[in-house]
Amino acid sequence: MNPVLVLGAGPAGLSAASELAGLGAPTLLVEKETYLGGNPKRWHYSLLAPDLRPAEEILGPLIERVEHHPQIELHVGSQVSSAEIAGNGYRISLRSKEGVQTREVAAVVLATGFDHFDSRRKFEYGYGHFPDVVDFKELEGMIHDDRVLRPSDGKAPGRIAWVLCVGSRDIQIGNPWCCRMGCVVSIKQAVEIRQKHPEIQAYIYYMDIRTYGLWEDLYWKSMQDYGVKFIRGRIGAISMAEGGRRLIATGEDTILSRPTEVPFDMIVLASGMEPGTGTKEASDLFHVPVGPEGFLTPKLSDMNTIDSGLPGIFLAGAATGPKAIPDAITEGMGAALRAFQYARG
Amino acid sequence: MSVVAHLPRRTLSLTEEEADSPPAMHLTGRQRMTDADRSLSEEIYREFRGDHRHHDFVLGCLNCGECTTGCPAARFYDFSPREMLQIAQNGDATTLWDAMQEKIWACCQCYTCNMRCRFGNDIAGIISVMRELSVRHGIEATRRTLAPFNRSLTLLMTVGTQVSSDMIQPDFFRDWGPFATGSDKSWGVTPAIMRKAIPIDVLQTTTSSWEVSVQTSLELFRIYEETGVLDMLRGLDPDLTDMLIDIIEERREEFTEARERYRADLDRMQGPVATFSG
Amino acid sequence: MLNATQIRRVIEERTERRQGTGKKVVDVREEMDRLEEQGELIVHRVRAENRPVEMKTLFGWTKRIPTDRLWHHKSCGQCGNIPGYPSSLLWVMNETGREYLNEPHQTSCTAWNYHGTATSNPVALAAVAARNFHRAYETHHFPLIHCGTSFGDYKEMRKLLVENTEVRHKVREILRSMDRELVLPEEIVHYSEWVQAMAPEIVARQKVDASGVVATVHEPCHYYKMVPEDAVYDDAVYGGQRPAVPTGILLALGAKVADYSTWYDCCGFGFRHILSEREFSRSFANLRKIRPMVEEAHSDVAITSDTGCVTTLDKSQWIGRAHGQPYLLPVLSDIQFAALTMGAHPYKIAQLHWHAAPVDRLLDRLGIDWRSAKAEFLEYLQQLKSGAAPEVLHAPREEIERFFAINKGQVLPEEIREKPSTPVSPTLVEGRGPR
Repeated sequence: MNPVLVLGAGPAGLSAASELAGLGAPTLLVEKETYLGGNPKRWHYSLLAPDLRPAEEILGPLIERVEHHPQIELHVGSQVSSAEIAGNGYRISLRSKEGVQTREVAAVVLATGFDHFDSRRKFEYGYGHFPDVVDFKELEGMIHDDRVLRPSDGKAPGRIAWVLCVGSRDIQIGNPWCCRMGCVVSIKQAVEIRQKHPEIQAYIYYMDIRTYGLWEDLYWKSMQDYGVKFIRGRIGAISMAEGGRRLIATGEDTILSRPTEVPFDMIVLASGMEPGTGTKEASDLFHVPVGPEGFLTPKLSDMNTIDSGLPGIFLAGAATGPKAIPDAITEGMGAALRAFQYARG
Repeated sequence: MSVVAHLPRRTLSLTEEEADSPPAMHLTGRQRMTDADRSLSEEIYREFRGDHRHHDFVLGCLNCGECTTGCPAARFYDFSPREMLQIAQNGDATTLWDAMQEKIWACCQCYTCNMRCRFGNDIAGIISVMRELSVRHGIEATRRTLAPFNRSLTLLMTVGTQVSSDMIQPDFFRDWGPFATGSDKSWGVTPAIMRKAIPIDVLQTTTSSWEVSVQTSLELFRIYEETGVLDMLRGLDPDLTDMLIDIIEERREEFTEARERYRADLDRMQGPVATFSG
Repeated sequence: MLNATQIRRVIEERTERRQGTGKKVVDVREEMDRLEEQGELIVHRVRAENRPVEMKTLFGWTKRIPTDRLWHHKSCGQCGNIPGYPSSLLWVMNETGREYLNEPHQTSCTAWNYHGTATSNPVALAAVAARNFHRAYETHHFPLIHCGTSFGDYKEMRKLLVENTEVRHKVREILRSMDRELVLPEEIVHYSEWVQAMAPEIVARQKVDASGVVATVHEPCHYYKMVPEDAVYDDAVYGGQRPAVPTGILLALGAKVADYSTWYDCCGFGFRHILSEREFSRSFANLRKIRPMVEEAHSDVAITSDTGCVTTLDKSQWIGRAHGQPYLLPVLSDIQFAALTMGAHPYKIAQLHWHAAPVDRLLDRLGIDWRSAKAEFLEYLQQLKSGAAPEVLHAPREEIERFFAINKGQVLPEEIREKPSTPVSPTLVEGRGPR
């Protein structure tokens, strides 16, 4: 049996590869970065919502298993540069620094993931210009290392604000969809910080809180147990005051119907999820259509998000839209099963 | 509309008549409406909802408040672009009528709301649509609001520029100080001479921003006639409109005569001339 | 009522049109090309003779800024009360050897009136824009828009004329009735973009050291908040997060540019407010703009690039003394500042005496001898008073005026057609007789 190609080694791809190997299928795991673990690894995610378990505890064992499984052939720092139908499967070119090799694969799992929105594009917030405006993926790293300090002067912040929906639900930058993660991750970050440093005040500016399903519990607890404050209204602009010592968040408190200007020591942008650059490439290579948002389109998105409708091609994780880590891992399992069935004939 | 800096925005001032009306009226801030007002408000509402720009400009609203965040008027008036958009989207004839009394005129038309709106609404644009309707129907409050603009309107309609240096009179623009109005005595000359000292020929006038050629101003007036601007203006101020038409008619006659004279001259000169291809 | 599918289609259509990313927003210039092919309109191209300089817009698209053979679309507010604004621009064009046409066959965009009193409508605004566009086109000069509001309005009107067939046909009909055609310029160009494009040439002629000056910039709203995709950005200016103009020229001239917290706010002009609600305009200008510029940024001068902004920020300050806000921060346009650093006469050219906030301290800081310049200017005023002919920046052109005014577009003497404008530089032209 030809191996099954898994493209992308984030949570979904790792999960798919691990399951395929478990089913006894030879697996070709291709990742364009030089490490395994995708965005959570790249940005040093701290604790994962809702149970506040460290990201390493979830992804660590998966990576371990994939790295050492005899059925898995790992290609990091590699890309698929061409693909064509060959029999029931595909013939692909695999390009890396070492050169190009041609392989035949029996089935394909596309787990090409997402990119965090580049907050510089929402220029009203001065990200990249004001050092103390940080992206929440960077804050993950700070929390992880327990060094939540202002990048400008290395001092501990007294007050932090979170701005939700940066690069999401916003036609001005072309991303009208919801990232599904911003609310719960921001609340989780505020809780983590308040747990360790109760002297830091945490404010979350929101237009809707979408801690959907059972995650609502974290939202409630954040207020009840950790004193996180919520203000309904968006921050329209961030500027600098007091000779650069403080940031000013300008917004409207939409419940009081009043414009507000509040000084903060640090402001965190909950940047949204966009289709990964690999997702566009995967679409071009395997002719999987993308929707208007740029994510891969499943055959019947109201039935399942795994079947692409194309022979031997299955989808997993945030390649088809914003997704939480457990969902991505679960989809990886489903895609592995589908790919295995297809490959076995 | 009064300006009260840094006071709560939701203060409501009542006229004597309003103070006598039931408390509910105070709370909504609604004006008392006569039957005539009511039927006019319904007509305006129908036109408003039927304007293609309503369809194009008003898309939806997440009530996020980013529009109000950057709004200069929201800091000083009982006004918010979010409220205006909500009225445009969900308001009824009475709500729209209320907004048209004063609120629409608080907007600075700076377009900050538009640039921020994540739903892509054209809020400044829809406020302009409301304003246009209030002008066209000659709403009393609008007539009051625009009364100070007779002078600049006259200039614009007849000449095609909106400001002239003789419009900036020291008594009306006292707060600008003597230099801005060209009235500072220390220069030792009249404002007209000050204008002469501008090194651009067409600017050396006090009665217009620059000298606009007669043909150009007549073309401009033709545009106003053809596009319904004169009709709008008639809704606002019929006397001013008639006066403008008189001025332009006279100028048209003069222009036609001048053109004929010139053509006669040209014939005598037997044409210098190269054909001018556009 | 619409069914679910219809609603979805409506939303999709709107979303398509409103999408704010580079790849999804329709580039109106491409649509213009298409309409030109169909004979719906003429595109006034930026040609080699316009010596274009390429810049990047918000989405990274290329905008070609013409730097030569320009038609001055003057601003009614600038000419009306800050005349040093256009005269500095014309002077810099003379200094840098640029050819232009400044003439009386231009109306204002009338958008100040529209935004102030709404006594107009989009069809009228579009027709006014198109009349001016055609006028520039028939003189073979590319329109250069002096005013931020005209710039914003013309961007909107160009879009409207491209997207709305009904408006386009109505406007075309009106234009035909006055023997004109529907012409849309390939690029709508704001003068500050020209200044930025000319930065190397301006800096090459710089005579005054500006490094001792701390400037704050007020970004004119209508420059970049209306039709945002047409404004120019440059990674060298605030990492490409704020428009490249007018900050770019200040940096090029070596001035320090200081940031302040309310940079995004408007100036308080308000269109109608500046005339009939000046309590608002001056409160806003002083509290939200001038105060942070002075107290946070310690700036020596506020620089902006639009008519209304210079007016509001400058003229609102005089009365500030009565409110305990004696800031008196000089407010100049970028081109006035550039002209001063190139050695322009502070009164004859930059016309600083129309400004309400005194500029003397700034001139001292720049090392410009304003005292003798002032004496010279006072003497010049006396000469004018006794009937001397005013000095002008370009040769009078009664001939072209006469031909166009009376007999539009039919005949034009060869020598005028070839050389419609004769800028005279560096000295001013003497001898224009009384009109």
